[in-house]
Amino acid sequence: MEALRYSSNAWGQRVLEGVSWDLLPWFVGIGVVVIVGHALYMQFFARKKS
Amino acid sequence: MSGTGTPSSVKDDDRIWRHRLTDRSLHWVSAVSVLVLLITGFLPVVGVNFEWVTIHWVTGLILLAAVAVHIVASIRKGQFMRIWFGWSDIKIVLSMLSSTPEKPGKYSPAQKLMHAGVTVLVLATLVTGLIMMVRIDTPLWERNIYLFEDTTWGVIYVVHGLAAMALISTAMLHIYFSLRPEKLMYFRSMLRGWMTRGEMETNHDVSKWSGDRT
Repeated sequence: MEALRYSSNAWGQRVLEGVSWDLLPWFVGIGVVVIVGHALYMQFFARKKS
Repeated sequence: MSGTGTPSSVKDDDRIWRHRLTDRSLHWVSAVSVLVLLITGFLPVVGVNFEWVTIHWVTGLILLAAVAVHIVASIRKGQFMRIWFGWSDIKIVLSMLSSTPEKPGKYSPAQKLMHAGVTVLVLATLVTGLIMMVRIDTPLWERNIYLFEDTTWGVIYVVHGLAAMALISTAMLHIYFSLRPEKLMYFRSMLRGWMTRGEMETNHDVSKWSGDRT
C-alpha cells in the first residue's frame, strides 16, 4: 500500500498527485476502533468503577 | 435528554445559557458544510460519480464564511482564548487520576482538544481548497493550472486529502461523543442553547464558569 499517488506529466516525469485513497479505510477504521474501545470501556469498566 | 430534567419541565430560572443563537447557528452551518464537503469529496473516490465539483467549492466557501464569522465574533466577545487547551487543562487531566478530580470551566479538556483538532483540519482543508480553486473555472475567473510547479500542487493536494480523511475520523468521534448518554446535555445545549443548573454544578467549576447569561 502506497501513502502517496503519483502520475506522469507531459514530459514523462513522475509527479506527486496527492495522498493515496488507500488510506481512507484506515482513517475510518481509527474512528471505529476509538468509538468501540471507548464504548466498551464505559460499559464494563467506568460504570463499575463509579 | 439526560440530566435533571426534560426540556419542557425545566423552569427558566434553572436554565444556564451556554451557547447563543448565533454561535449555535454557526456550529450547525459548519457541521452541515463539513458533512456535505466530505460526502461530495469522497463519494467519487469510492466510485459514486456525479457532478460534485461545483457543490464542493460552493459549500467550501460557505464553511469559510462561517469560520470567519466565528473567529471575528469570538474575538469581539473577548472569548477567543477560552476554548484553547492549556496548562490548566493538563492539571485537570492529571487530577482525574486522583480521588478529587478538578472540574473544568465552560469547556472540558476533551472539548478543547476536539476544537483544536477540528480547527487545524478545517483550516488546512480551507486554505488548500482555496488555492485549488485556482485550477477550476468559476463565474469569477478562468482556471490556471500553471500557478505553481507540479510538486507544489502535489503537496497542496496531499495536505488537502490527508486533512479531509482525518476530518472523517474526527467527525465520527465528535458525533459519537455528542450522542453519549452522559454528554447529551452538551448536544441539547448546542440545539437549544442551555443546560440545567444541576448539570452545570455537577460537571463544571462554577467559580470558572456559571453561564454566559441568565
